[in-house]
Amino acid sequence: MEVHQLLANFTLGDAMGQAAVGFQALLRRLGLSGQLYAGEVASDLRSLVKPASQLRPARGDLVLYHHGIASEWAGRLMHLDCRRGVVFHNITPARFYAGTRLEEALNSGRAQLAALADSVELSIGVSDLNVAELREAGHRNVHLVPLFVEEARFDADQAAGGLEAGAPIVLSVSRVVAHKRVEDLLSLHAELLRLRPASRLVVVGGYAEGQQAFVRLQARAAALGRVDFLGKVSHGELVAAYRQADVYVSMSEHEGFGVPLIEAMAADLPVLAFGAAAVPWTMGGAGVVFDTKHFAALAELVVAVTEDDAMRRKIIEGQQRRVAALSAQASEAALKVALGVHREPSRGIGRRDTRPSVAIVVQRFGEEITGGAESHARQVALQLAAEMDVTVLTTCATDHLTWANTLVEGAERDGPLRVQRFRSEAPRQMRAFNRLSDDVLSRPNDRVTEEHWIAEQGPRAPSLLRAIAESREAYDAFIFFTYLYAPTAWGVPLVGAKALVVPTAHDEPPFRFEAFSDVFERPQVLMCNTLEEQQLIQQRFPNAARSRIVGVGIEPPEALDRNAFAKKHGLRGPYLMYVGRQETGKGLKELVEHHRGLVNAFHDAPTLVLAGGGALDLGGGERVRVLGRISEEDKWNGLAGAMAAVAPSRFESLSLLALEAFAVGTPLLANADSSVLAGHVARSGAGATWHSSESYVEAVRALGGAQLRDQALKYAGAFRWPKVVAAFREEIQRIRKAK
Amino acid sequence: MKLLGKDISAARLMQEIQGRLAERGLGGAEEDSDRPEGVESRVDPLAFNLEAMAEHSDPTRALPIETHRGGVGGRAVVLAKRAFRATCQMFINEALGRQQVFNGHVRDSYAQLSAEVKRLGARVAELEATKKPRVIKPAARAPAVKKGRAKKKK
Repeated sequence: MEVHQLLANFTLGDAMGQAAVGFQALLRRLGLSGQLYAGEVASDLRSLVKPASQLRPARGDLVLYHHGIASEWAGRLMHLDCRRGVVFHNITPARFYAGTRLEEALNSGRAQLAALADSVELSIGVSDLNVAELREAGHRNVHLVPLFVEEARFDADQAAGGLEAGAPIVLSVSRVVAHKRVEDLLSLHAELLRLRPASRLVVVGGYAEGQQAFVRLQARAAALGRVDFLGKVSHGELVAAYRQADVYVSMSEHEGFGVPLIEAMAADLPVLAFGAAAVPWTMGGAGVVFDTKHFAALAELVVAVTEDDAMRRKIIEGQQRRVAALSAQASEAALKVALGVHREPSRGIGRRDTRPSVAIVVQRFGEEITGGAESHARQVALQLAAEMDVTVLTTCATDHLTWANTLVEGAERDGPLRVQRFRSEAPRQMRAFNRLSDDVLSRPNDRVTEEHWIAEQGPRAPSLLRAIAESREAYDAFIFFTYLYAPTAWGVPLVGAKALVVPTAHDEPPFRFEAFSDVFERPQVLMCNTLEEQQLIQQRFPNAARSRIVGVGIEPPEALDRNAFAKKHGLRGPYLMYVGRQETGKGLKELVEHHRGLVNAFHDAPTLVLAGGGALDLGGGERVRVLGRISEEDKWNGLAGAMAAVAPSRFESLSLLALEAFAVGTPLLANADSSVLAGHVARSGAGATWHSSESYVEAVRALGGAQLRDQALKYAGAFRWPKVVAAFREEIQRIRKAK
Repeated sequence: MKLLGKDISAARLMQEIQGRLAERGLGGAEEDSDRPEGVESRVDPLAFNLEAMAEHSDPTRALPIETHRGGVGGRAVVLAKRAFRATCQMFINEALGRQQVFNGHVRDSYAQLSAEVKRLGARVAELEATKKPRVIKPAARAPAVKKGRAKKKK
């Protein structure tokens, strides 16, 4: 069974959309795959949310429809030939909008809610009020699954920007609409100014500029002074507002849940809230709830809460407990009960003396695929196949930029391996992706934005995810390669403790995404490549799963001809050799620049040879040779004959090139900005590092001598396949033995 | 005014606030709660839809004139809409006359169908209420199986 979610519309910053994305993360943790659909969704968000017109559930699938104000999708849900459920986010009572067009849409939403009662098998309310209203509307199988806030997203380090000074600063976060009662915040501000003339009121949330009601609010705010309407803000700015304010106040007369109340609590901001609708339940005894809007008294309350340190501290401690009670884990447990999901993926599917059955999940797969992680995955798969049944679950893509489906969908064999390929969705548009990356990788984000980036990063292969979810009983273990891609990010939570993850992580902007936490926290074990990678993960994800350093095995061919490569390509004198993809992010442009400086300064400078596929224009020039892709034989002979292998990338989690060079006795010339490469050089003593043009020259001059060759060979001796296979065997056995 | 919160001493805090208000010569904050209580009532979908269809079956009638635009532009749009209604209503009536008749038939058909659905629903409820609870008889005991080898069929 898949669980799809359906919304009337999906826009960034909308609470219902955020809830759906949060629910999807929980559903994956319960082993359930599924997609998001919306009646209206902007074209640039369609990688994350598909148009509802494309919803084609199988009869056994469940569609969860998120209901609020009237929508045609409430009626259309009833006609879907599948299992159906509703998630109710509440509807503002129509009395707040009497005489406007909104009034009828609100009433209509309630009529639809009642009409849905007999057409759904499951009804979820996100607060106790919503549960009560579902029952009132005639729903029977009703469950409470609260919304949750990811606490880490409201940490101080997520803040970006600042508020104007005020003492105290009173913050409220809501759209400026009738039932939120912004005019009451202004009344409170007027009273507070009498007590504390330096106080400031900050209202965060969208408003309709020029609308009569807002114009009146603006005029009153201007007359009072020290009021800021910030409108919609980025996630970082929102966190900054929570973190810099002294108190949060809600005057809203209707809340179906009140997400900002919990966000404020997560940011350690005392909350004072008018106890309307679901607010008392959401507050759960934390903060301060008031039942009358006596503004002079409330102003005194604000002063007391902001200036009495002991009371403030106690309130914040209580709020932290409430945030913990409304955690993702609590919502996951409630959703599990609501959906009747009782089983965890079973361990030990067969007799312990049978051959283990293992699935390897990787974004691309094939002998011809160039890419460190992909070739690592294939090598591990082939090594394990000697003692296990190995199936590779992958896409039809060969190009990691577009993910175009160039290979045939379905099953095929690769020697002892069974390979199952799944189609990826529409090819990635790199220009749009780069624009999105520029926008989101430099700042803190909410979950929706991060999930959108992961969707754009791809490859998006819903059938691959469905296959993982449906086959979680069929395999003893799933080995995922590379944390960064959608099949891993979304696939690992589907199998949880049956997952072994080879993260190939390095310190790059997406590594800081909270949305990747499941990849690092939920598997059985993280199979790291280096000590530096392990330390990096433990530092970023303190709750990371157990990890061990495994790496790879390196086995150079027995017959090597150290002169063959130079002869074949007409190289005279010593040369430095890079083998790998030639693309942005690999540090090649800087390397070529440094090398040209070396050639200009020294008449006997070695030639720099750059081999590998890619579209980067590196120019070439004196003693810089750009070759295309080369054969395996050429690679090994080339490395064996080189003065040193060159590794210019800052982003490495292992560097097969470095290990292959060491294995043939060739030292390494490496970018010192990569802690992994610097670690290889330091531990082996077989090479040198650079971090500037000057140090590049020094590093090249430090190369040479038989001692380096011996040290390289000695270091490479630790990377042997039997050790790697033993580590995987041990972890897979551990899963099989677990009850 | 009442304060609620596990982490505050609500009565003492309220007393302090009352004291400060009194010092400032302001009245106390003893008013009753003005918090709206309770859940919203169920809206019957059949009745609501019928009412909504009746309300909107005449397409010649204008909706409340609104605009999302603010400022001078918004006021100009509202003025233009009013002027259009005032001067062109007779043409609107002429253009939408048949639609008005058709909508009336749709409304009346829906009224009849929804009444029938209600009648059938009530009848089903009535039948279910009078239905005798089904008695489940204990399963007949299976004949004892004799131990030993079964005879081969010839």
